[in-house]
This record gives sequence, C-alpha cells and structure tokens, in this order.
Amino acid sequence: MDAQAVAFAIVAVVALVSGVGVVTTRNVAHAALFLLVSLASVAGVFILLVAEFLALVQVLIYGGAVTIVLLFALMLTRAEEFSNVRSNPQWAVAAVAALGVFGAMGAVILNDRLDTQELRGPSLQELGGELFTNWVVPFEIASLVLLMALIGAIILARASDSDEPGSGG
Amino acid sequence: MMELAWLIPSLPAIAFAFMVTLGKRLPNWSAIAATGSIAVSFALFFFVFADWLGAKSFPHPENYTFVYSIDWLRAGDAILTWGMWIDPISLTMLGLVTAAALGIQVYSWSYMAHEPRFTWFFAVHSLFAASMLALVMADNLLLLYIAWELVGICSYLLIGFFYDRRSAAEAAKKAFITTRVGDVGLLIGILLLFVETGTFELSTIFAALAAGDLSEGIVTGAAVLMLLGAIGKSAQFPFHVWLPDAMEGPTPVSALVHSATMVVAGVYLVARIFPFFEASDTASLVLLSLGAVTAMGAAAMALVMTDIKRVLAYSTLTDLAFMMLALGAGSVTAGMFHLLLHGFAKATLFLGAGSVSHGSDKTDIRDMGGLRRVMPWTALAFGIGALSLGGLPPFGGFFSKDEVTLAVFLIEEPYRWIFLTVALTVGFMKALYMGRLFFSVFLGRLKPENEHAHEAGPAMLAPMLVFTTLGAVGGLLAFNWTDGYQGFGYFVFAGDHQEAFHPNWWIAAASAALAVAGFGITWLAYVTGSLRTDSIIAKVRPVHTLVANKFYVDEVYQWGIDQVMLRAGNAVAWVDRAFVNDIGVNGPGIVTEKSGTKLRLLQSGKIYNYALGMVLGFLAVAVAWWWAL
Amino acid sequence: MELYHVELLSAALFALGVYGVLARRNAIMILMAVELMLNAVTINAVAYAAFLDPGRLVGQVITVFVITVAAAEVGLAMAIILRLYRVRATANVDEADTMRG
Repeated sequence: MDAQAVAFAIVAVVALVSGVGVVTTRNVAHAALFLLVSLASVAGVFILLVAEFLALVQVLIYGGAVTIVLLFALMLTRAEEFSNVRSNPQWAVAAVAALGVFGAMGAVILNDRLDTQELRGPSLQELGGELFTNWVVPFEIASLVLLMALIGAIILARASDSDEPGSGG
Repeated sequence: MMELAWLIPSLPAIAFAFMVTLGKRLPNWSAIAATGSIAVSFALFFFVFADWLGAKSFPHPENYTFVYSIDWLRAGDAILTWGMWIDPISLTMLGLVTAAALGIQVYSWSYMAHEPRFTWFFAVHSLFAASMLALVMADNLLLLYIAWELVGICSYLLIGFFYDRRSAAEAAKKAFITTRVGDVGLLIGILLLFVETGTFELSTIFAALAAGDLSEGIVTGAAVLMLLGAIGKSAQFPFHVWLPDAMEGPTPVSALVHSATMVVAGVYLVARIFPFFEASDTASLVLLSLGAVTAMGAAAMALVMTDIKRVLAYSTLTDLAFMMLALGAGSVTAGMFHLLLHGFAKATLFLGAGSVSHGSDKTDIRDMGGLRRVMPWTALAFGIGALSLGGLPPFGGFFSKDEVTLAVFLIEEPYRWIFLTVALTVGFMKALYMGRLFFSVFLGRLKPENEHAHEAGPAMLAPMLVFTTLGAVGGLLAFNWTDGYQGFGYFVFAGDHQEAFHPNWWIAAASAALAVAGFGITWLAYVTGSLRTDSIIAKVRPVHTLVANKFYVDEVYQWGIDQVMLRAGNAVAWVDRAFVNDIGVNGPGIVTEKSGTKLRLLQSGKIYNYALGMVLGFLAVAVAWWWAL
Repeated sequence: MELYHVELLSAALFALGVYGVLARRNAIMILMAVELMLNAVTINAVAYAAFLDPGRLVGQVITVFVITVAAAEVGLAMAIILRLYRVRATANVDEADTMRG
C-alpha cells in the first residue's frame, strides 16, 4: 500500500463521512460545514488525480463562494426551524432508492473494469491553451450563463411590497 | 369586355356588403347603391353581349361558349376553379335577371318606401340578384352549388321579410326546407360526377360525357339527382308546396322570385346540364312526366284559387312545368324562350298585382272587379301580361307556348300523343285562369268599397309598363330578322331538331284556337255573366273540393312529417341520448372524472415525491437494461 | 489507487446526494445534496481524464464548466429560496404544495 493509496483512502473516508453528515444532520448550519469539509476532500481527490488547478478552483469556488452563499442565505432568512430540520416522511424509501442507485452504479463499475493508462495530468499551460482555443466558445457562453444567473438572482431576490410573509398564495 | 363579365354579379354583391356594413349610417344611400349597382350590371350585360356577338362565329355552335376561369384551390390532383361560362343560355339569363332586378328595384323604391327595414330589403335583394347572376355564369358545378345555396338563403330571408308575422316565418321555413330536400339530391349528383370525373368543371364533364367515359347508369343517376335539385328550386311536383306560400313575402320579392331568380334557377340548371338529359332517355322521361303532372295539377289549382297572388303562383308552377316539358322534349331553345317571355310577363303581372293590393288593400279576387276604372294603367299592363301568358296571339307568350308545344309534338313515339295532349290542355287552362283573373279583377262592375282605390305612382308604373312592352313584343325574338340573328332557335342552340325552328301551322292554329276559346269562355263567365260558374262548380263538386284543397298534398306531407318523420326522429333522438350521449360521450367523461378524482391524490404537490418517482424510474430502467444486456 | 476506487467513491457520494435530495425537506439542504451529486460527477470526469484520456484534458475542461454552472445554479437557487421564504415564511419544500391535486 503506497502513500498515494493511503492518502486516497483518508480523503475518501473524510469525504464520505462528511457527506453522510450533510444528508443526516438536523442543523442546516452544521450541514453547510459538513459540505465544506466534503468539498475540500474532493479537492484532495483532485490533487491525487494530478489536477492541481481544479483542486484550487474547487476550494476557491465551492469552499469560498458556494458555502459562503449558503451561509449568507441562512443568515438572511433567520429561521428558527433551521436548527432542527427533520427528514421528510419518505426518508426510508429514499434510503432504499439511494442504495439502489449506488448498487446499480457499483455493479457496473465492478463488472466492467476499464483498461487504465499511467496516471498523469496536463500542465496548467495545456489546460489554459485548450480552454482558450478549442473551448473558447463554450467558455464565453459560460460567462454569459453566469451573467444571466446574476441578473436573475438579483431580480428574484429583490424585495418588493407584495412579498411580505403570508401575503402570497 | 367578356373577361370583365365577372363584374356583373360582383357589383350587386359589393352593394350588399356596403348596405349591411354602412347601411345604418347612410340609410339614404342604400337604395341608390342597390339600384345603381344593378343598373351598371345591366349596362355591362350589353357590352358583354355585344362582345360575344363579335367573338362567336356563326353557325358553329361549339364556338358559342366562352369560358374564363382561374385556379382557386389545389388539393392534390383536384384543382378547383372559379370561372365564367358565357354562352347563349347564360347570356339570356344575364339579360333577364339584370333587367328584372333593375325594374323591380325601381318599383320597390315606392312600394317599400314605408317599410322600417327598407335597407335590409334592398341589401338582400342585391345579394339575391348577385347570387343568381353568379349561378347562371358559373363554369363549374361547385361554384354553381354555392350560388345555388346563396339563392336559397336569400329567398328564405326575403319570403320571411315580415318575420314578425307567423305565417311569413312559416312560409320562409317551408320554402327553405322543401328546396333543401332537393338540394341534397343536387349535391349528391355533383359529388357523383366529381367522383367519376375528378372535376367540377362543366367543360371537362361534358367532354367526358361526349367521349362516353361515363356509364349509362352514372349519367342517368347524375341527371336524375341533379333534377331533384332543379325541381326543388323550380317548385315542381312533388316539391311544389313551397311556392304558393312564398306569397308571404313582399310583392316585389314575389315578382323577382317568380320571374327571374330562384324558381327559374331549376330550369336553368336543367338547361345547363342538358347534355345529360340528351344522353339519358330515362332522365328525359322523368323530366317530361314531372313536367306533365305539375302542369296539369298546378293549372287546375290556378283555376280555383281566389287570392290574386296565389293564382299567379300556381300559374308560375304551370309555366315552369311547361319549360320542363320543353327541356324534357329535348328543346333547350323552347325552354329558354319560354323562360324569357314568362319572366317578362310574370314580372308585369306581379308588379300589377302589387299595384292592385297597394291601391285597394285587397288580395281576394272575389272582392275586386271593375278596377280598370280607378287604375287604368295597371289594368292595361296587367291585361297585356295576362293575355300574353294566356297564350293569345300576337303577344309574346303565344310564341313561346307555341315553341314548347311544337317541341313536345316532336317527341318520338310512343309518348308523343300523351304529352302533346297535356301541352294543349294546359295551354287551354292557361287561357282560362288568366282570363278569369284579369276579367274578374279589372272588368265588370266596380264595387263601392273599391271606389277609393287609386292608381300607383309613376315609379311603380314605369317598370311595370317596360316589362309589359317586353312581354308583348318579345315574341318577335323568335323570327329570323337579319343574317346575324336568325331567330332565337339559332341563338340558343343545343342540338334541337331542325324542324323545331320552322313553325308548324297546325300546332300554332290549334294552340291559338284553344287560347281564344279559353279567353272567350271566361269572358262569358266573368264579364257578361251568361255562363254561371256556380252551376259548373256544383256539377263537379268533389273534384272542385279536391283541387281547392290543393290535392291535399300539404296534408299528406303534414301527416308524413307528424307520423313518420317525427316518430323516426324521436327514435333516433332516443338512440342519440341513450347511446351516443349517455354512453358514448358522458361515459368516457364519467370514467375520466371518477378516475381523475382518485388519481389526482398522486399529485401530492411535494417535490421530493416527484423526485423519488424519477429515481425509482431510473432504477427500473437501469435494472431492465442490465437484464437485457 | 485504481480507477474503480475513485469511481466507487464517486458513486457513493452520488448516492448520498440522491438520498439527500429525496429525504430532506429543507430547500437549502436539498441544494447541498445537489452539490454533492455535482461533485461526484466532477470526480468521475477528472478521474477519466487522468486514467483514460490520452490528451488528459477534456475531463478537466468539462469540470471547469461544471463548477461554473454549479456556481450559477447556487446563486439562482438561493435567490429562489429567499423568495420562497419571503412569501411563505418557510424554506420547507413540502409547504410549497400549491400544485397538490
């Protein structure tokens, strides 16, 4: 068992345990923190897969932006209920369905091992060159998507008089 | 000019559109628009006629017909066209319809002046004329059918003009429904031809007929089916019941319906599709028989009716049957000639009758008599019209009646003598009832209560006298005047017997003698009083009762409607309610409603339920895929 | 560390996400579960890039786009949740059941 395998085992266990925490804890704030840990572990997996740049992006965007946005949202809504959120009545069935999904995917994975090559990753120059040459149009479109999401979020979240609690349908 | 002939029906149609949209805002313009448009159409007719005279080449009948058409609709292989068909028959009709509509509209200016729905009257009148003009110019059966139904709806609207009067509403309904029965036959006939030839165009259909592409059964079937439509419109037995009731409309409407539009549409249709009757002896015999039955029955009824307009109505039936006889005998010439002259004479008579009832407020001829003293011009016009229609030489009606009788005389054995007897008898009866009508209304002693009666104004008299003149001298059209016009027989030519163009002096003498006899007898009965009609009636009391009750045809139809139609209708309605409605329509509705009530509970509105459904569905697909592999 | 190890990790994270989406009733928590699923997918993409793709690039490029879209999605979703909270005074999705049959 080499160091790489040990490291992978550690980050995988952390990612899974904190993932379980995300979906089982009753406190939303705790769930957000568990999510942060899980996403950081995924960044670790990226490093082991020789994708340092993506690991960096993962930490920056998920760890930095997404989790913060979630926590901000918690703050803005100030809901007392957030500290004790129970699962919905179908959680048992949901667990069976999720196990089924895992079983289906695991069966495929184990049944059909792919022939792998030597583990290797691109350099940052290669990735950047690829992004700004062959993928430049999707890249630009992605920026448009972000812009529109920004505008949409502003319009949706903007307070208006008719939005007071209890006034809606 | 001929390619502009489409303007002739279009102008009155535009006038109609103008009146129904702007008539309320510009009430004073409506009659002007109506009469102006029909006057322009009338003028256009002359240009078209002159152009046609220049373009055709005598004496080749195949060059008489000019067709202009444009593609209207393409559906697969079928191409529907709009087009005009200009030949002597449609030219005759164009002239008659525009002239009659123009004269009658001028007459209506004063006759209808005090009607609250003055604009509506002129609007529908214009549409009536427009659709009749479109009908006579149609180059394909589809267009013809459309115009045909337009004529029907216009007659419905005009007969029911006084719709607040129950009898008028009933009469309009009766006219509409009775003609509709025949129209179904026409539609089936047209569709039969479409199925057989793949086109509605007359020229193609006639070409197929001439080439022998149509089997004998199809030809006879199509001819008889279309004849159903024709006898419905032309009020021939057994569809004659609507026409006398159609008197409920205003008198100018009756004048138009009886002289130039509506009822002559049937005769026109038979003339238009005449090659079918030429090709099928069976269809011709049906036509002859219907004509003979109607002519005899209607002439008998005209003899006993006492309402002035009803007598005229039954005389119209007789004359239409006369035209059918001529067509059945194979002479389009005679049929169209009688149509033309009858149109002029009948317009005169109806306008005269309108003038009489307008001036004296009476409609029953037993209440009249001696009216010539108070309305001399009407008496003159009416008298000439009656003598002409009665078939007295030298008025126009004599010539056309003579042509018809001659055509019937030329039928081949074994039917010749039967129908010739019918034609001569009916000719005699025509003189009888026309004499009775004219003498008992205008001659004799003036009753005191009628002394206040007054003559109609010049606007009513002028058209009446114009039609009188046309009817009186129209017989001259029959003769060979110049090289360009060798008589009506050469003008409207459809392969008649050559003999028919030459007068047969025996026939002419017999029919003239019978007319003189008819008028003579009625003179004795109604003017000098030396012949007692009461005693004659007393001797044939049962027959008189039968005829006076219109042969109980209306009663038989009423019984059929009450006992057969309504019962069958109730049965069908029950089937409809029980099976179609309750089981067929409400059944699925109830099933849907009940199952929906249960199934809607599946829609919990909770998003994670839906998500669970998606995941389970994904799993099911995955498992199925796994197994299939 | 073999490819299927990584794949199994990815599958497990994805199943956890599925469970979270199906079993939670708080909208924010559902959103977090969705993020878990997205990450599972990106792990797969990066792993395939590292182990299978001769050019080693496409999987990473796709991951960049997934992260971008995920950021946009979180922003929009938070806006919607805020709106829901204002109107309904709750972030529980089973109370937004106007569509109930």
